[in-house]
Amino acid sequence: MPQEPIVKCENVKFSYPGQDGYALNGVSFSVQKGEFLSLIGHNGSGKSTLARLINGLLEADEGKITVLGMDVAEGKNVFEIRKHVGIVFQNPDNQTVASIVEDDIAFGPENIGVERGEIGRRIDWALSAVGMSEYRTATPSRLSGGQKQRIAVAGVLAIKPDVLILDESTAMLDPKGRREVIDVVTRLNRDEGMTIILITHFMEEALLADRTIVLNKGEIALEGTPERIFENGEALETFNLSLPKISVICDSLRSAGMEIPNLLKPEELADAIVRNFGSRGITSVQSAPAANKIPDSPHEWDIDIKNLSYTYSKKSPFATKALKGIELHIDDGEFFGIIGHTGSGKSTLVQHLNALIKLPQAEKHYRKPKTKKGTIPPPEPNITIGKFNLADRKTDFKALRASVGMVFQYPEYQLFAETVFADVAFGLKNYNKNVTDKEVEEAVKSSLEIVGLNYEEIKDKSPFDLSGGQKRRVAIAGVIVTKPHILILDEPAAGLDPKGKKEIMELLHKLHKEWCRTVIIVSHDMDEVAENCARAAVISEGRVFACDFCAKLFSRADELRALGLDVPMTAKISARLAKNGIKIYSDFTSADFTAKVIEAFEGGGNA
Amino acid sequence: MLNDVTFGQYYPAQSFVHRLDPRTKLLALIAYIVMLFVANNFYSLFACFFLLCVTVAAARLPLGSVLRSVKGIIFILALTSVLNLFFHGGERLLWQWWKIKIYYEGVIFTIFLMLRLIFLVLGSSVLTLTTTPVSLTDGIESLLKPLKYIKFPVHELALIMSIALRFIPTLIDETNRIISAQKARGADFESGNIFKRIKAIVPILIPLLISAFRRAEELGDAMDARCYSGSKNRTKYKKLHFGGRDIAAFAAFAALIAGVILLNIYAASIFPQIYGYIRLS
Repeated sequence: MPQEPIVKCENVKFSYPGQDGYALNGVSFSVQKGEFLSLIGHNGSGKSTLARLINGLLEADEGKITVLGMDVAEGKNVFEIRKHVGIVFQNPDNQTVASIVEDDIAFGPENIGVERGEIGRRIDWALSAVGMSEYRTATPSRLSGGQKQRIAVAGVLAIKPDVLILDESTAMLDPKGRREVIDVVTRLNRDEGMTIILITHFMEEALLADRTIVLNKGEIALEGTPERIFENGEALETFNLSLPKISVICDSLRSAGMEIPNLLKPEELADAIVRNFGSRGITSVQSAPAANKIPDSPHEWDIDIKNLSYTYSKKSPFATKALKGIELHIDDGEFFGIIGHTGSGKSTLVQHLNALIKLPQAEKHYRKPKTKKGTIPPPEPNITIGKFNLADRKTDFKALRASVGMVFQYPEYQLFAETVFADVAFGLKNYNKNVTDKEVEEAVKSSLEIVGLNYEEIKDKSPFDLSGGQKRRVAIAGVIVTKPHILILDEPAAGLDPKGKKEIMELLHKLHKEWCRTVIIVSHDMDEVAENCARAAVISEGRVFACDFCAKLFSRADELRALGLDVPMTAKISARLAKNGIKIYSDFTSADFTAKVIEAFEGGGNA
Repeated sequence: MLNDVTFGQYYPAQSFVHRLDPRTKLLALIAYIVMLFVANNFYSLFACFFLLCVTVAAARLPLGSVLRSVKGIIFILALTSVLNLFFHGGERLLWQWWKIKIYYEGVIFTIFLMLRLIFLVLGSSVLTLTTTPVSLTDGIESLLKPLKYIKFPVHELALIMSIALRFIPTLIDETNRIISAQKARGADFESGNIFKRIKAIVPILIPLLISAFRRAEELGDAMDARCYSGSKNRTKYKKLHFGGRDIAAFAAFAALIAGVILLNIYAASIFPQIYGYIRLS
């Protein structure tokens, strides 16, 4: 007799009040005990709604949901069901109730009336399950995103649920944090037999599951093992999802005549390429060196940083050194990447570039630090951007900020005005008090249009009524409206689904060509930097670890990994190939890498 | 703007006072404040000061961090002393200008009052410097527990305090981020008259409010999902324990109460020659 499913949805329909159409339109599926299910879909496909329905946070309009045979629609069951189904949400900051880790984890068990001694044991168990035992008395707000999210997982585990739902729990984390959380989840599934429902739009994560369901516009579009799902590359595109990058490379190599199955691990793909080369008798390859695209730079708006150090909360017991002597030069006209972990100092660094953090010499009450006799005083930090000297107190910092645009992480959270027009015009009016209405209108119109929005349609709307992707575009328009020469973006693609990410990156290239001369993106995603930037700097623990063309930078894969940094997927494959005598020198974009491999394959190794 | 907000005043250290149960410290502070007001002469007042000094020494606090708290009440100190100085009557006239008279008794009384206020603030700052806001909340919750029987929502109040504490650093970070972002768009928060400045705050306040509401909603969902259903049938993991230290502290403060009362009664007979000069009328 087949086992009774632990979660069962039958023809579930749900619509949000005040919204047209169904968020979920007739969804049926069931989950078996011990199964690892991944649920993928574009933003707004209804996947988070589904999680809330299963847990009784929302109530379905039609259809039936049962958990362990209990109907969610019956009010008396909800409390019981929540004991069995735990949810970890997206934002790690908004799930903790206490200022001490153990108090927070105790919250769930306290709610269901577990006695004290047992709560203590559950805290021990939950913390060791997420690998955070040594943080029992830590303060959540001082932890990294990945650690915070693992605490949130532990808080849910302490209730001892049978099913763990992760509702885009990795969307706001950096790759390291994402890996930490995913490792915990896969271990729980494997070792503790916990049923997992993983909601995500990272294809790489969806692959880890036993079974995948693709949601599109509130309906189940595809269902099956991850391998089967990713055979439907084109179908996925139409659902606003994208294939994992590695699958794209597999596809193009296959169409060039190589025998490559659908592989999902870079090392396996490298081995498959080696086998293919071997079958043609190619055992050693030395491809042409990658072209370093040095842009023609007029050097009018070069950025030059010297000896930059910075300490937060100076003179307090919590002083932390964020920057320890940064030296960096960025040419006028570059598309530049700044890479590093959360907490590496990269955000602090870019905030210096438009004097949001001023150099000490530029502060009003600056006094030269006294130095002991006989010692050499530490070199003074210095930044110049074009004609601006940021160490000079008399520099026109307002003009500087108008020339160096800065888009913060999740810029849509800064929108405030009543209409899109007013919000975009805000910066322009701040920088130029004498601007005429007509000039404002023209500037707002052209900047909204270049970010891909319809001016007439959107200008009088409230920014809060827009979709997530539109909000981000409006926020970017609000920064570029002053026509800055240099545009800096902190994690421009954070939290977007694959299609949204791709579109934002395309937008940035368009801006680089037509609007701003220099574009600098700050990112923790190595693949994003490798695909988009010509040159990049790696920041690690407040220092520049390396600054070079991507082609050279990522060929140092081993060193980067030793620092605990990830490398682009193409770099992983290249490194493995090189160990087998096949040296492919690409700029680590997947297009260039694939082309080089095919060239070598067809040219018999003498590409 | 909010760069150097280190949350609360807590001064991390390992000391006798730091390790005391928060309830002991709260009760001791109450006893100390009551004694400051019971004291009706300088001897009693200095008995309180003596215990304060012992506590500061036992807490291993840097003197500067304790004294800094006085800075916050300088205005009140100045105001009350000026009022008392000019309006306190007496017998021995020291100085007169037009209708304003200063008496010797007024000076003595003003000094007494200032010391009382300063000791009060110093004592409270010892509590906040040695106790984390979290354990302070635990202490308050535990002390208020008897109020449950008159249907006072003790648990809810404690939860609200705990969540507020938890979100203060998060919201400070958020505020800093929004300020930076609007500054990068040319917003100016530091110049202009008061109306301009108030208007300049709008681009910070609105995003902050929206985000706070969003956070509240998400937190509500997360709490629901973790089976929160009010104080009914709820257990409590953290229990506070009185230890040997606390007994020692109680003994010290019992001694203070006894001392102050005795000094109040017998003050006149200690150094009668001096007492004549420092008597409060």
